[in-house]
Amino acid sequence: MVVFVVKGLIFDIKRFEVHDGPGIRTTVFLKGCPLRCFWCQNPEGLKLKQEIMFYPERCISCGACMATCPRGAHEIRNNIHVYFRDKCENCGRCAESCYSGALQFVGKWMNVDDLIKVVLMDKPFYNASNGGVTLSGGDPVMQYEFSYAFLERCKSEGLHTAIETAAYCRWEVLEKLLSVTDLIMMDIKHIDSEVHYKATGVRNDIILENAKKLAETDKPLIIRIPIVPTVNDSPEAIAAIAKFIQSFKNLMFLELLPFHRLGEVKYRALGIEYPARNLKTPTKAKMQELIEAAKKFVTNVFSA
Amino acid sequence: MESNLIIYEDPSTFLERLNKLNEELTFSERLEILREIKMKHTHEKQKVIGIMDQDDHGRLLPPPELREIVEYMGPSGEPVRDVKLNNFKPISNHPSGGFFGPKICGENFRLFLSSHPVYINPFSSILGGYMAYFMSYRDPHWNPDLSPPQHLVEAWSKYDIYPGVGAVQHFCQDMQIGFSLGWGGLLRKIRYYREINPQAAEFYDGLESVVIGVQEWIARHVKAARELAEKERNPTLRRNLKDLADINERLINEPPRTFWEACQWTAWYQMIARMYNGSGSMGRIDVWLKPFYERDVAAGILTDEEAIFHLACLFLNDTQYYQLGGPDASGKDVTNKLSYLVLEAVHRLKAPANIGIFVWEGLDPRLLDRGIEIMLEDKMGFPKFLGGDALIEGFMRNGYSVELARERAYSGCHWFAIPGKEYALQDCVKINFAKVFEVAFWEMMSDPNVNPSVEELWSRFETHLRKAIDIVREGLDFHMENMHKVFPELVLDLLCYGPIEKGLDASHGGVEYYNLCLDGAGIGTVADSFAAIELRVEKEKRISWRELAEELKNNFRNEYIRLMLRNIPHYGQGGTHADEWAVKIAKTFVRLVKEKPTPKGYNIIPGLFSWASMLSMGQRVGATPNGRRAGAPISQGANPEPGFGGTPTSLAIAVAAIQCGYGNTAPLQLDIDPTVFRGKNGKEIVKALILGHFKLGGTMINMNVIDKEKILEAHKDPSKYPDLIVRVTGFSAYFASLSKDLRQFVVDRILAEES
Repeated sequence: MVVFVVKGLIFDIKRFEVHDGPGIRTTVFLKGCPLRCFWCQNPEGLKLKQEIMFYPERCISCGACMATCPRGAHEIRNNIHVYFRDKCENCGRCAESCYSGALQFVGKWMNVDDLIKVVLMDKPFYNASNGGVTLSGGDPVMQYEFSYAFLERCKSEGLHTAIETAAYCRWEVLEKLLSVTDLIMMDIKHIDSEVHYKATGVRNDIILENAKKLAETDKPLIIRIPIVPTVNDSPEAIAAIAKFIQSFKNLMFLELLPFHRLGEVKYRALGIEYPARNLKTPTKAKMQELIEAAKKFVTNVFSA
Repeated sequence: MESNLIIYEDPSTFLERLNKLNEELTFSERLEILREIKMKHTHEKQKVIGIMDQDDHGRLLPPPELREIVEYMGPSGEPVRDVKLNNFKPISNHPSGGFFGPKICGENFRLFLSSHPVYINPFSSILGGYMAYFMSYRDPHWNPDLSPPQHLVEAWSKYDIYPGVGAVQHFCQDMQIGFSLGWGGLLRKIRYYREINPQAAEFYDGLESVVIGVQEWIARHVKAARELAEKERNPTLRRNLKDLADINERLINEPPRTFWEACQWTAWYQMIARMYNGSGSMGRIDVWLKPFYERDVAAGILTDEEAIFHLACLFLNDTQYYQLGGPDASGKDVTNKLSYLVLEAVHRLKAPANIGIFVWEGLDPRLLDRGIEIMLEDKMGFPKFLGGDALIEGFMRNGYSVELARERAYSGCHWFAIPGKEYALQDCVKINFAKVFEVAFWEMMSDPNVNPSVEELWSRFETHLRKAIDIVREGLDFHMENMHKVFPELVLDLLCYGPIEKGLDASHGGVEYYNLCLDGAGIGTVADSFAAIELRVEKEKRISWRELAEELKNNFRNEYIRLMLRNIPHYGQGGTHADEWAVKIAKTFVRLVKEKPTPKGYNIIPGLFSWASMLSMGQRVGATPNGRRAGAPISQGANPEPGFGGTPTSLAIAVAAIQCGYGNTAPLQLDIDPTVFRGKNGKEIVKALILGHFKLGGTMINMNVIDKEKILEAHKDPSKYPDLIVRVTGFSAYFASLSKDLRQFVVDRILAEES
């Protein structure tokens, strides 16, 4: 008999996470996202494949990467490390030999058994704080088979489970995940499909449809809006989303998350342009204004 | 030379500012001014003494004309820079110029007190303030005729052992003895037992001198307070001074009757205990002050506001160690109204304090909640949290009853003692694990008959650790044999059960229980070193043993190799090989310590703690295989190396896993940047961390809630935040008073946990 072990491609596991749901949590970040939001703060989570991140400022010019790379993608010239990304096949050998942290291999294939071991370490703290596990990304719907297998395992271990998703997927996928999920945190970026397309690369019809279906379930639901200048930082845009969700019976609260530039350095490390470089973090006053706009339709509105 | 000097905090500028020259003052106005005066003294201390890598204490500087600056070996084995009174010269009874033995120590201390100026702060409800440490005059601090055997001295240096020989205090008296007898009663008790134990005449002479010295010192304060009361125009201050004169006139002989008197009595005791040999142990304040509080409240002579004020004045007088909550002998939690008032007093003070909440299964959860709220709000590393269940269970493993284990009270940096009954040398005896590792490593590398291996290295580490522990055992016996002839515990003896009755110093059989402390330091450094060698040398074969030895010898010429060794899964991350090594080291240490008592039969209790000595201990250790450079600090206490790459939860689990299990602690040092909570309920998160750690067997948590930005700025320019308080280790201190090295250490620790 052949046993298939589902593996997930994971780019980060954050223990002691206190902003991805109630209590103390461990958040697992899965690689791969169907959206391409130009401000994305986790660009290393977009592609469903392993990648090299390069931080030249950390390089100590030891040359270990040159010696291990089968494709000649690394050169040290006059103590300056040049990385030819076009030659690279993302085999990860260079990162394995790099101890300065200049080269990092993002994405690790893990099976449910390995992952649950890490997650269970903090169980005493979940119990004491009503915390648990959050599956994030990327978007957990991209690797939904693994997501399901992992969340199912979490439930059998008695853990509280949450997912963070943009819900851009077939309803059946979401429905299946719901059966092993205690809390859904869903992003909505814009109510206008055209604007949504320009900002994220996809239309929002499926997303809004799924949101409505989610609202018909009895799962606790948190809606989150990333507040991004030039996209949705107007009271009208926020009010429109708030209005859309106002009748959701299972809505716990609406959370507005201000855009920030902390992801910028990661774009550089991935060798891609940072499309949001001209954007600024919304001011406190702006956030307050948007909260007020949302409160016309939804009682519980918070901002991080 | 007897001092007629009276230092009076002139109230006029404060009263003018309040525009209350002739009007009554409220408690909160007085407290605000007291805080300001405290800051003034702290600034002056920072200017004159400079660096203070230790507890802030409540000491005041002597007036400029009486100052003499000195350096000497402090009570925890670290050099201390200090200011002495220049009008006191001890009498010597030895060619070395020193003074040794109970009689002369008592007599000199009495002389010292008579040279000590009177200090009166009219805003405070506590009379007196202390300005110098008697220990500063003990030169040499050990009698050269009693020199320890040479093989011990050599081994102490070889393994970087803090042997505890000559160490003082670090155990706890029972305040209730003082409260029932008063100074007069103590004197009568000494005189009564002097008749029964004539062989101990010199010991009783010493004790008598101490008590008489205190009485004379109090009497001078009474006289001064009475005179000042006559002159003082402000009605509140005038009445306060008069009350203080009346109260203290009684207290010269009589035991305290009221809550106020009990606080004042405690202050006299804590001042002489601190001055005599640095003792800061107090124990269960919410137990021994409770009868006074309840009686006064029932009689209608004490309000809670007044009680808080007296407590705050007591805590301003000195930063002693106190426990709140915890079981009584029968297993009922003692938390009461007073426990909350103590918290409130420190909360209003906003000055360094060392108060621990005893978290155990029976604790009133509201006390823990209130403690966490205050910690998050004040961000002063106060209070700290004690893992009661593991401590009680652990202490019983030494063969003690549960009742006795429950009595053991928090009374110092990382430690507990049974008030009045147990001599412990807590925090005085340490082995530097990193040094033991270094000895084992180089011995193996220079042995031509073996092939180096992790297994071989471990077996040599264990052998040397056993030798080091044997050396500690012998040293402790030497201490117990001789300490009383050198510098007996004349102040702590007064309030213990046995020393006066038996005519024996606490360090020489006076009390009932002897459980001597032995702490291991640097476990994180050694665990990572083993794990690094195991991974890079043995498993991956990235470098050879010879190359490793070369790099260590040359303090890492090759940065690539250093980073390779540094970048391993560390102790503290959870589930790593280094975590397993740490557990193995701790277990082995405990097993070796518990193999046998000292040759003379003293029980030893193992723990893991470095106090603030991780800097000086690190200076004596060369480069280690975990990529740590020569001379860099070793890991602190039971914590991992800074930069271990874990989280508060992984840290809490790792430290819980290496507990020694016999009632002494391996504290978890946790620095938390409150901005991580943004809008979230930080209290519940912190509570979960505390309860989770204790449930896993943790014994103590020293928590810093720190504004990262603020601490970085303060590190650049300490003068910007002169009153920023951090919990360095078991003690809190003003950040600006710390040495640059220790500030750097605290900053690194915080940044490491952040990333």
